Amino acid sequence: MPEVSYTTTLRIPHDQVWGFVKDMNNWAPFLTGYQAHEILSETDSLWTLKGDVGILSRTVKLKARVTEWSGPDKVTFTLEGLNEDVEGGGVVTMGPYHASTVPLAPPLTIASWFRRLIAALFRKRSTKAGGTLQREATRPPQSQLTFTLRMEAGGPTGPIVNALLGPALLPATEQLANKIAAHLHAIELRP
Amino acid sequence: MLFRKKRQWDVECDVLVVGSGAAGLTAALAAHEAGAQVALIEKSDKIGGASAVSGGVLWVPNNHHMGELGISDSREEAVCYATRLADGRGDNELIETFVDKSPEMLRFVEGETGLNFTSLARYPDYHPEFEGGKVGGRSLDPGLFDSNDLGEWKSKLRRSPIFGMTALTVTEATEWGVFAKPLNLPFKLLGERLSKGFVCYGGALVGQLLKALLQRAIAPLMSFRARELIIEDGRVIGVRGEQGGAERSIRARKAVILTSGGFEWDRSLNSQFLSGQLTHPNSPPCNEGDGLRMAMVVGAALGNMTEAWWCPSLMIPGEEYDGKQLNRADFATRSLPHSIIVNRNGNRFVNEAQNYNDVMKPFFAFDSASYERPNLPAWLIVDANHILKYGLLTVMPGKAVPSFVARGETVGELASVIGVNAVRLEATVRNFNRFAVEGVDPEFHRGESLYDRFYGDPDQKPNANLGAIEKAPFYAVEVHAGSIGTKGGVRVNKNGEAIRADGAVIRGLYAAGNVMAGPFGAGYPGAGSTIGIAMTFGFLAGRKAASDA
Repeated sequence: MPEVSYTTTLRIPHDQVWGFVKDMNNWAPFLTGYQAHEILSETDSLWTLKGDVGILSRTVKLKARVTEWSGPDKVTFTLEGLNEDVEGGGVVTMGPYHASTVPLAPPLTIASWFRRLIAALFRKRSTKAGGTLQREATRPPQSQLTFTLRMEAGGPTGPIVNALLGPALLPATEQLANKIAAHLHAIELRP
Repeated sequence: MLFRKKRQWDVECDVLVVGSGAAGLTAALAAHEAGAQVALIEKSDKIGGASAVSGGVLWVPNNHHMGELGISDSREEAVCYATRLADGRGDNELIETFVDKSPEMLRFVEGETGLNFTSLARYPDYHPEFEGGKVGGRSLDPGLFDSNDLGEWKSKLRRSPIFGMTALTVTEATEWGVFAKPLNLPFKLLGERLSKGFVCYGGALVGQLLKALLQRAIAPLMSFRARELIIEDGRVIGVRGEQGGAERSIRARKAVILTSGGFEWDRSLNSQFLSGQLTHPNSPPCNEGDGLRMAMVVGAALGNMTEAWWCPSLMIPGEEYDGKQLNRADFATRSLPHSIIVNRNGNRFVNEAQNYNDVMKPFFAFDSASYERPNLPAWLIVDANHILKYGLLTVMPGKAVPSFVARGETVGELASVIGVNAVRLEATVRNFNRFAVEGVDPEFHRGESLYDRFYGDPDQKPNANLGAIEKAPFYAVEVHAGSIGTKGGVRVNKNGEAIRADGAVIRGLYAAGNVMAGPFGAGYPGAGSTIGIAMTFGFLAGRKAASDA
């Protein structure tokens, strides 16, 4: 079963990360291929994604179910394909930064255009404030966010689909984690 | 002109090849081996064009691999057969050139690349019963290719949305009976091959050709769209285009070889030239007729412009390739038992099991009284037995059919769902079911040709292509007009040199592949005809261009 895991570091406390992550509406658009989602209950939600396996893309409908809701540290979920023969699940973990478990991320993972925009908008104020941006950019990491995701295609063609699915999972996981981190850092940088 | 302003060139070479399909890669290889300094540009960010998404098979009559298998062939048989299929609209001189030179091209390519083709002894020509047709051997399989051999270029190899999902040779597909027995496939083995980086079909062909160019330090210039041929003193001396948003120009001291593919994705060119309404092309969307337009501007004569390598298309809504709806070429579904194609009136109108080029032609039939095309829209009708045995599209046998496929518990109900005359469809199905029991299709002769049976179910008796449509539920998907590429374009001479309407050569300009006027007219002689002729004229053009002064 293709399974990937990716950890990113954040320069904000992990309870703030949880405050953002616990509401899926906050980060849903950060998912690769996101089209739509619908929250059905406290545990269940429907997701429509444009799934890309590197050669072609298809609209995939998934049902997600939260099986463990242990904020602010951990959320476990399962995934079930509604229009494709796939299933999977994952774990999201948040916690204080441990240098031994995760390498230090670059100073800022925000897209450069976004960073420049923020810098331009607040240059005057940040200068007056003694270079807040500079200080924020070099502030040490305080928390880490880990996504572990596994997906498996079933049926006779499963081995073929999984061969294509595997390489596509890690970039999707990295993108989600990094976009959340970039978003939170951008908010945090506002004076 | 005494005081000509000195041009600024971004790149200079002897021979510039425009396009990276099989024709272009072969042309570049041939020009290099003939001593030219070669540059190659590709419009998209992937190498391979329509060739890379194809079956990668070459149709080469009288090839040396046939002899190895003891299959006889001759120049006369091949010319006779191809000329008949051209239907009076081909170019006989070029057909003869192709028949004469394609075996030489094959030996050249095998000698200069890692390709070692296998003759497909059981893959028949598309009309094997015609004089000069063969029951197998002329179509050649490129085998598998380890894309890791391309190093950092691996990710730039275009992958087929159909054949790129697996990694098996055409020979294996034939032996394993992929179409009629999809569950016979060794999925675990195929998954392992994919994981290791093996590619097949067109990916293998293009991969091997690209590898050969890279070994010769010819690195294609990617995302370079040619816009204009540069003329000086009546001779093509280069190309102007754009790359990364900047205008770029390349000087070609000897020649420019256009191998930029067809115009199937350009609606304007389609409507101006094609005999049928091509709505759902199967090739990469970058085939927009760029080379054709450039050649028209410099006065190239055009030929065979009404024709395409037609192919029925089926769609899975929302499935995309290169950002456009993917139109799946249907090579086999319609040939399998328990299926028919009907028009909007509920009538069959074609032998559904014919080769994909010929099966399309009646789709465009025109009723001069009503000024309508009665066979459009067309629908593929199957029953539960078909689903159980063969599946449908990407649905494996016996699996649930997705909701985008129209469904009815009776044939009449299905007819009402798809807007087809129910009484006529019920009558059509009744007749067809009688034919299936008798094993003979007196209306359209389905299953009579060896070609039909190649894509049929050998376990279906008495006719491998006929099975009753009788078990509910019944399903329908629309069959659209597709094409794996247009085959009208720049007229060339037997050296691949572009010519004007008066027959004079346009100095410094060559064409090969689907941007060239296809010599086969309306015909499609056998599997790999597109690539066979593309590589042959690419080979001839590259070799001749290198020798130009």
